[in-house]
Amino acid sequence: MTAPQPRRRRIGVYVCHCGGNISDYVDVGRVVEAVREEDDVVVAREAMFTCSEATQREIVEDIAAEELDGLVVASCSPKLHQTTFREVARRGGLNPYLYSQVNIREQCSWTHTDDRAGATEKAIRLVRAGIAKTRLSAPLEPLNVTTTRRALVVGGGVAGMRSAVALADVGIEVVLVEREDHLGGAVAGLGEMFPNQVRGDELAARLIAEIEQREAITVRTRSVLREKRGTYGNYEVAVETAGKVSRVAVGQIIVATGFVSYTPELGEYGYGMPGVVTLEEFDRLLAKSSGPLRAGGREVSSVAYLYCVGSRNEENPACSRYCCSAAVHASILAARRQPSLRQFHLHRDLRTYGRNELAFRESRRLGSLYLRFGDDDAPRISAEGEQVRVIVRDQLAAGEELALSVDLLVLVTGMRPRSNDELVNTLKLPVGRDGFFNEIHPKLRPVETIVDGVSICGACQGPKTAAEAVTSGLAAAAHAAAVLKRGVAELDPEVAIVRAEACSGCGECVSACPFAAIALLDGASPRARVDASACKGCGACVPVCPEDAIDLQGYRDVQLRAMITAMAGEVAP
Amino acid sequence: MTATVSPQVADALRTLGPFDPEVCMSCGTCTATCPLGIDVLPRRVLRDAALGLEDHLLAEAEAIFSCLLCRACESACPAGVHISEDIRLLRRYLLRKEAR
Repeated sequence: MTAPQPRRRRIGVYVCHCGGNISDYVDVGRVVEAVREEDDVVVAREAMFTCSEATQREIVEDIAAEELDGLVVASCSPKLHQTTFREVARRGGLNPYLYSQVNIREQCSWTHTDDRAGATEKAIRLVRAGIAKTRLSAPLEPLNVTTTRRALVVGGGVAGMRSAVALADVGIEVVLVEREDHLGGAVAGLGEMFPNQVRGDELAARLIAEIEQREAITVRTRSVLREKRGTYGNYEVAVETAGKVSRVAVGQIIVATGFVSYTPELGEYGYGMPGVVTLEEFDRLLAKSSGPLRAGGREVSSVAYLYCVGSRNEENPACSRYCCSAAVHASILAARRQPSLRQFHLHRDLRTYGRNELAFRESRRLGSLYLRFGDDDAPRISAEGEQVRVIVRDQLAAGEELALSVDLLVLVTGMRPRSNDELVNTLKLPVGRDGFFNEIHPKLRPVETIVDGVSICGACQGPKTAAEAVTSGLAAAAHAAAVLKRGVAELDPEVAIVRAEACSGCGECVSACPFAAIALLDGASPRARVDASACKGCGACVPVCPEDAIDLQGYRDVQLRAMITAMAGEVAP
Repeated sequence: MTATVSPQVADALRTLGPFDPEVCMSCGTCTATCPLGIDVLPRRVLRDAALGLEDHLLAEAEAIFSCLLCRACESACPAGVHISEDIRLLRRYLLRKEAR
C-alpha cells in the first residue's frame, strides 16, 4: 500500500529544555536545527519550560501568526503534559488531535546520561517521527455518550453513606447496597474518635438519619451486587436481595466496602489469654462503659499497648497507619476517665502524623510512658497470676531488658483488606499486592480506578481514619457527579474504526479485543462493528485483521509507517 | 538481668511535688545543652525515675547532685519537661532514702 500524497502542512515544533532535565544530556539547539529543515515545518523553537504559561502563550500566538495546522512538542512523557498541550492547541484554534507529543526526556535524556551524542541523535529521530505523524494527522472530535443519572454505591459504612448523601444533594439518584441488615459499617461500633472528638456511633446514626430524609437514595440492605453489564455511563447492574434479583440502570459505580480488623492468631502475643485484647476490643470496651475501667470482671489499674501487631512483619509488611494514633487516642480517653491508670506503650516507630502529634504529647502529659523496642526484638508475653507479664528491651533505656506486669494488654492491631472475590470479579476491581483495592494514583487520581465508571473510597483502598474515609467518599461522589450531572460524557476519540467495505466478517478482531468492544453485525454478510464507548484504543485488533480493514484513529497505519521511515533517515553527525 | 518496672517510685516522687518525666520524648536536647556535661544523660535519669528503676537512680546520685539547676536544658526542652524541678524532687527523694 502506498501512502497518499499529503497536502502541504504548516507544522510548529517546540523542543523543551525542561530546565536542564533534557538539555543536560540532549543538545536541544542541535535538535532544533536538525528538524527545522524538515518538510512542512514552518516554526522550530526551543524553550526552557515549554509548559510554562509564557511559552504556551507564544505557541498560541505562533498558531495564529504562522497559520499552523499541526503542532509538535518534544518534551516529557505524554502522561504528564499531553492534555496540557492539546489544550494549548485548542486555545490557538487548532483541533487538539493535530498535536503530537514526543518524549525526549524519559526516552532520551534520562535514559542515556552516559551518551550525549547518542541521546541527541535519538531525540532528532523521535522528533522527525512526531513530525511525520502530525503531517498525516486529522482533526478528531470527542465521542459524546449520554449517561444514566443514577449511581450505585456498594457498602453502607461512613464512606459509602456520605458519598450517597453528597450525590443525592446534587440531584443524582443513588442505590445504596449493603450486605448487612443495617447501615453503619465499622464506625457505628466506635465511641469517641481522633482527631475531631466525634463519636463513631453518633456519626453513623447522623448519616443514617440524613439518608432516611432523602428520597433520591434507595437503601438495599442484606443485598449484594451480582452482575454488571453495559458500557461507560450506562451500566445495568443486578442486585440480589434475599434471593431475589432486580436490575437497575446506573451511570457510575462507587465501591466503599471497608476493611476487617486484624485478628491475631491464638497465642500471638498472648492473644486468647485472659487480660489480652485487640485494639478493636479495647475501643469497644471504652465506648460501651464509663467510669473506672473493668475487664473480665476485674478492675484495671494498668494497661500496656503493644503496637504493630499483625503489621510490618514478614506476612504483612504494610503499616496500617491509623493504629498508632488510635492507640494513643484510646490511652487519652482511658486516662481521662481514670487518672490513676498506669499506661505503657510498647512501640517500634510512632506514626502520629499531622495533628495526631498533639495527641501523642497529650498522652505523655497524662502519664503514658513510651518504650521503644527493636524490629527484631518483639516483647515476650506470659501469664502471671491474674496479670499479664511483659518483657521488653527498651531502646530508650539503652536496650535494658525490663519486666512489667499489667492488668490489661492491648494488642494494637491494624486494618486488613476484606476479601470479596465476587465483587472483584464482577467489577474487575484492581487489587493491590496488599489486598486493598487500587486507585489510579494516590495523589493525582485518588478515587478513580483503571475500570472506567468505577470509583473506590474509604478503607477498602487502604487503612483510613473515619474522617479520611468520609473525605474520600466525598471525592468519589464529586467524581461521579462531574460525569453524571452533565448528562453527557466525553470519550477519547482515539478508537478503532472498521472499513466496512473491506471487512470479511472473519471475527479475528472480536476474539482479540480485551474489552469486548467489537461485535459482528448480522446481515447478508457479517461485518465487525466497534462500540466506541467500550473501545480503549489499545490497537490489539489492528494487526490481527487479515484484510487490513481496521485502523486506530490518531495512530493510523499510514501514520505509523511514515513515522518509521522518518525515524530511519540519516542524521548528520 | 531483667529490671522490674515499678511505677510506685514515680508515685512516691509525686507526693513530694509535681513530677513530669513521662512528658519527655527522649530527644536528647538536654544532654546537648548541659554546660556541665554531667556523666549521666538527663533524659536517662528522668526515664529511670519514670520506670521506677531505683537502683539505677541510686547509682546516678552523684550526677543528680552535681547538676547546677541552671535550667539551660529546661529552656531548650522541646517537650516542655520541668527538668530542674524534677531533679530537685529526685534529690529530696534520694536524701530521704538515705536518712532512713
